Parts: sequence; structure tokens; C-alpha cells
Amino acid sequence: MNSIQKNRLKDQLFKIWGIACTLIGLVLLAVFIGDILIDGLRRIDWSFITNLPSRKAEKSGIYTALMGSIWILLLTTIVAFPLGVAAGVYLEEYAKKNRFSALLEINISNLAGVPSIIYGLLGLEVFVRIMGLGASVLAGALTLSLLILPIIIVATREAIKAVPQSIRDASYALGASKWQTIRNQILPASGGGILTGVILALSRAVGETAPLIVVGALAYVPFAPSNPLDEFSVLPIQIFNWISRPQHGFIENAAAAIIILLLITFVMNGIAVYFRNKWQKKWK
Amino acid sequence: MAKEMEIKMSKIKTETFNKAKKLDLVENHAARIEAKGIKVWYDDFNAIKGINMEIKPNTVTAFIGPSGCGKSTFLRLFNRMNDYVEGFRMEGKIKINGENVYKNNVNVEELRKEVGMVFQKPNPFPKSIFENVAYGLKIQGIKDKKFINERVEKALRQADLWEEVKDNLKKSALALSGGQQQRLCIARTLAVEPSIILMDEPTSALDPISTAKIEDLIFSLKEKYTVIIVTHNMQQASRISDYTAFFYIGDLIEFDKTKKIFTNPAEKQTENYITGRFG
Amino acid sequence: MENAIYQKDLLNQAILEMLSLSFTQFEKAMEAFSNNDADLAEEVIHKETRVNALDLKIEKDCERFLALHQPVAIDLRHVMAFLKINYELERIADHAYGISKYLVDDEELIPKKLLDAVNYKTIVETINMMFELIADAYENDNVKLARKIFKKDKILDKINANSFEILEAEIKNDIEITGKALILLSVIKKCERVGDLLKNIAEEIIFYLDAEVLKHRKKKK
Repeated sequence: MNSIQKNRLKDQLFKIWGIACTLIGLVLLAVFIGDILIDGLRRIDWSFITNLPSRKAEKSGIYTALMGSIWILLLTTIVAFPLGVAAGVYLEEYAKKNRFSALLEINISNLAGVPSIIYGLLGLEVFVRIMGLGASVLAGALTLSLLILPIIIVATREAIKAVPQSIRDASYALGASKWQTIRNQILPASGGGILTGVILALSRAVGETAPLIVVGALAYVPFAPSNPLDEFSVLPIQIFNWISRPQHGFIENAAAAIIILLLITFVMNGIAVYFRNKWQKKWK
Repeated sequence: MAKEMEIKMSKIKTETFNKAKKLDLVENHAARIEAKGIKVWYDDFNAIKGINMEIKPNTVTAFIGPSGCGKSTFLRLFNRMNDYVEGFRMEGKIKINGENVYKNNVNVEELRKEVGMVFQKPNPFPKSIFENVAYGLKIQGIKDKKFINERVEKALRQADLWEEVKDNLKKSALALSGGQQQRLCIARTLAVEPSIILMDEPTSALDPISTAKIEDLIFSLKEKYTVIIVTHNMQQASRISDYTAFFYIGDLIEFDKTKKIFTNPAEKQTENYITGRFG
Repeated sequence: MENAIYQKDLLNQAILEMLSLSFTQFEKAMEAFSNNDADLAEEVIHKETRVNALDLKIEKDCERFLALHQPVAIDLRHVMAFLKINYELERIADHAYGISKYLVDDEELIPKKLLDAVNYKTIVETINMMFELIADAYENDNVKLARKIFKKDKILDKINANSFEILEAEIKNDIEITGKALILLSVIKKCERVGDLLKNIAEEIIFYLDAEVLKHRKKKK
């Protein structure tokens, strides 16, 4: 076999290996989702969504957990979005590029990898105890904001970095100030990328379980939160709670709740992808 | 017999060169520029060693010279774009209509409204054609829609782009061809009615036909503005400029009328460069 | 491009001005010679400085155009033609100057029968026609008109060839007119050279229009 044939063979082998790897992941995911759907799909109806949790599986619903998740999502957005984007803009546009700022950049990336339960402990000490917020939705949201802040900062910086220097030059050359350039050119141009990063970060926050448990989200909550200082529960915790029960009805409930959670995640990711595509079209 | 010939001649005189009257739209803004004792450093590197130059209003001046000779650096002194470069330091005075632009109390944003710049690669904003041209006015706080519309049309006419885009000003600027984009960038600069227009190799990224169109445009702009253009293309300098400055490694070797530089330059170095004998 | 076109138009104009000037100079000189008009001759001599100034200007302008606009193809041929045509027109005006100088030096009239004998009128008419053909061909980019010159030049060549013998005979008849006859012979020679110069101009015009080099080629009979 000469070298051309050898190369072609290597090509084919790698192709087959790549397809196999991809398929393994996809097949496992498909099996999992299929299994869940079989278990939980018929349990989903309007009463399931609006019922409070109860000791009887048929009567149990995800209403409080769903509301809790929505409260968490909203509060976390309100806190993390402006903070993260502003920090990202400052670090990328205003901060001088020296040793200190390089150190800062490394540390922020590291923070994005810290185990989420550590954030839970931090939130417990600072928000629940020191600030006296108790085991409230607000404390939970603040904790999750800290968790996803590094992700938003990094996504913002990357999106801003992608705006070509020539645009900045053109703006400055016309007499615009730094802030005018950021507001009129850089933010609109990087907006899609920033939004994508924020939505992905938030969809991760929606699925977080451990830090919220540490902060004190309850497993059994008979009411939906009515103000930020109320106690709360979220979908992942509700799922965890139902799975540990022996009754078969609760397994079904858990599967149904998983489907709802997956739905929320998929929708959020879909929105992120939509925005990213729309943003990329602008640069064509 | 001879009389007939004289009549023929005078006919040609009036037929020739009916310049498009589009430049009558604006008044004469052109400014006078003086540079005295200019030295520039980037950290320890001495980029410009000591240059004096005077540029008359309503002229096109070309800066020529090999790569790295300092011509772009020198150009950017006039609108202080070098201020953003790390390690930039300068000595000397740059006076525009007698005012030193490096004095401490000079508002850089105001300066850049007087001194516009067009870059090598066309860089329109990812917005509509209208928004691009109106940007310079909007950042000044101008809100009068009628005023903005008028200025945008004036600028596009001067840049010889109006006829091609007037039917759809909301179209994305990125959908235009390279030559059109560059004319859009020129219109964007003209909209704020500067007195000086700086151009850093404005046609080096364009095809020959777009280049020719823009050269005609530059030539017509000198009626109302002072134009300085950096170019690698010596033939371009000879075609459109009134004065030419030859730079070499941070020094100004020769600065004179273009027709003198290209027929009988005073310095041997200049002649070596423009005849291509440079090693 | 616009500027280059404009500059070439200016050069064109200058050539037409030079053409008009040379033509006028020669016309006046021939008229002054046949009528012994010393005043008209002075006019021609006076205008010679203008001719020289225009000649220098055109040369300098052509040099500048070549340096600044790097013309190619038809534009290049055109400018090269400008330079050569300018040179030839200047020589024609020079001959006009020379003819006029004879008059200023010598007050007396050339006898009419001498002028008739050498067909002076035909010479003047032929040269006038050649000038017109040149002007027309140049202005209208008409190669055909330019080619008509060659036939006309032959007429001048013939007259020149005959003039020697005719004048020789006249001198033998009347020795008194020797001085006049010699001057007349010189003038006829100048006219023959003017004819050649006009022919050269026609060749230049054909060159820049058709890129066809006619110089030093044997003419088809």
C-alpha cells in the first residue's frame, strides 16, 4: 500500500471513529429522553402544573416548584445581567492592559469553574446569615448570580472583543467619546453575543440544585413565593425529592417534572441560538 | 482661413471640462496646516526625527515613502489618533488655522469634527446607509430631522454616491460593494463638514475602477477642503496631488509641488525612490 | 481620470493654437513677399517670439503630462504626436520668419512675371489647402483626409524641381534680376520644406490614430 492509499485509509478510519463518538452521545441521550417520555408524558396535564405538592402522588403538582424556579430566574436576571455586562464592558474597554488586569482575567475564568456547592456555602454565610435575608428567594437568587457572574463577564468580553478595531477607529475619528462609541457601536454590535452568553448562563442557573439546597430551599413548600423574602423551592429540588420516595406514582411525577425542566432548558437554549444566528447574519 | 481655426479653438475651450457642480453645495471650509519641530516616539523608538511642514488650504498633499517611514504616524498627528497608541509621545506644534491642537485645553472630540479621516479598509458601521452618514451629526447632539436629512443628502452627493443609493437609504451599508463602501465612509466624514480630510491609503483595498472613481472624487474635494493622502502608489500621488512629501525613515526628505517632484526632484534620494531604483 | 482628460484637452488646445499661429505666420509671410509689404513682414517677425514661447510651453506641458499621468496606448501616442507636431509647426513658423526677413532687408518688389513664371500662386494655394487638410484631419480624427496631403506635397515637389531651370532661364534673359531670382529660389525651397513638414505632421496624425508608422516608408504609386 503506497502513501496515498494509506492516507485515504486513515481518513476513512477517522471519519468512522468520529461518527461513532457522536452517535454514542446522541444515542444515549435519545434513550434517556425516550425513557423519560414513556414514564412521564401522560402524567402531564393542567392539574399537574397547578397542583401543590401533596403526600398523594396523583394529587401532587409542580406549581410551587415551578413558581419558585420562575422567581429565581427573574431575580437572578435582574441582578446578574447588568452587573455582569457592566463588569465585562469595563474590563474590556476601560481597564488598562497591565499585569494586574491579566491576573484579574485569569481569576475570573477560574471562578467560572468553581464547584457550585462552594457558592452555596458562600451564599449561606453572606446572604442568609450576615445580611439576614434568611432562606429566601432573594438569597437564592443572589447566590446564583454570583455563580453565573463569571460566565456572563467572559461572554461579554468575548463578544466585545469580536467587534473589529476598525469600527472603533471610525467612531473615534468622527469625534465620538469613548462612552458614545460603546453605547452606539460596540454594544449594538456585540449585543447578540452578549445576549447569547447571558441566556446560556441563566439556563444553567435554572438547573442548579446544590447551592440552593445549602442556602435552604425547602423540599416541601406548600405555597408559591409572594415576595422576595419568602421561602421557596425549585424544580430540580422537587424532582430530587420525588425520586427518593418509594411510591411508583412519585416516579411518574418526577419524570413529568423532568420533562418540564428539559422543556424550559431547551426553549431557553433555542432562544439563545436564534439570537446568535441573527447576530452573525449582521456581520456577513 | 486662420480666423476659422481660432473659432474652432474657442469652441473647444468652453466644451472642455464641465465640472460637475456638486461641490457648489458647500462653502469653502479648507484650513491651513503648519507643523513645527515635530518629533515622535513610541516608547524608545524614534519614529519621526524632526519635521517642519506647511500645507496650504484647498490643496491635495500626498505623503509617499517606503513602509515604516513614518508617513501614517505623521498623518495621524493631525487628528490625534496616535493618542490611543501605547507609548506614544510627541514634541513640537501642530497648528490648524493658527491654533495648536496639542495644547492641554484642546477638546479632542471637537478637533475630530474639524479633521476627518478615511481609512485604508472601508469600515462602515453595521447599520443602514443613512445611519452611517448621520452618525457624526447625532453624536454632536443634533436632533433636527430635517437638518440631518439635508446634510446626509449633501454628503452623499459630494461623495458621488447619492444617485446609486438614494432609493433605499435604509439598506445595510454592508450590502454595498467595496468601492461604494469607501465612498460611504467619505460621505460619513463629509457630513460633519470638516476643514481637513485625512486619507490613509484609501484605495489600496479597491479594484482599479473604484480607485479611479475615488481619485476623481479626491481631486474634486480640494475645491472646498484641504486633503492629505498617504499612498503607496506613486502614480496615484502624481495623478491627483498638488504637493508631494517624500518621507524616509522618520525624516522628510523633500516637500515640493508634485510636478517638480516627478519631473525634476531636488534630492537624489527622491529620484531613486520614484524611479524605483530603491534597493 | 477626469483631470487627465482635461489636461490632455488643454494640450490639444495648445496644439491647435500653435497650428493657427504657424498657419497665420506663413500666410502673412507669403502675402507680404508677393506684395512687397514691409509692414506685414514686420508683423510676422514680431510674432516670432510668441511662437517660440508657445513652443516651449507645449514641450514643458507634454513632459509634465507624461510624468504625472503615465499615459498608455492612444493617449501615449497622442502625446508623442503632440511633441513632434509642435516641433514641426515651430519649424514652419521659422520659415515664415525667414521669408519675412528677406523683405525687411530688401525693399524692392519681386517682378510679377517672375512670380508667375514659377507658379507662385499655385504654391500659396497648395500650401493653404494642405494646412486646411491638416486642421480638418486633426480635429475630426480623419485619417483619410490626412492621407490626401501626400498628393498635394507632390505638387510642391514638382514646382520646386522645375523652379531651378525656370529661374536659370530668366536670369539668362535679364542679368539684372539675378538677386531677386536667387531670393525667390530660396523662398521656393522654404515652401518645399514647409510642404515636407506638413507631410510629416500628417504622418504623425496617422500614427497616433492608427498606430501605423509611415516614416521612411516608400509611398505607393
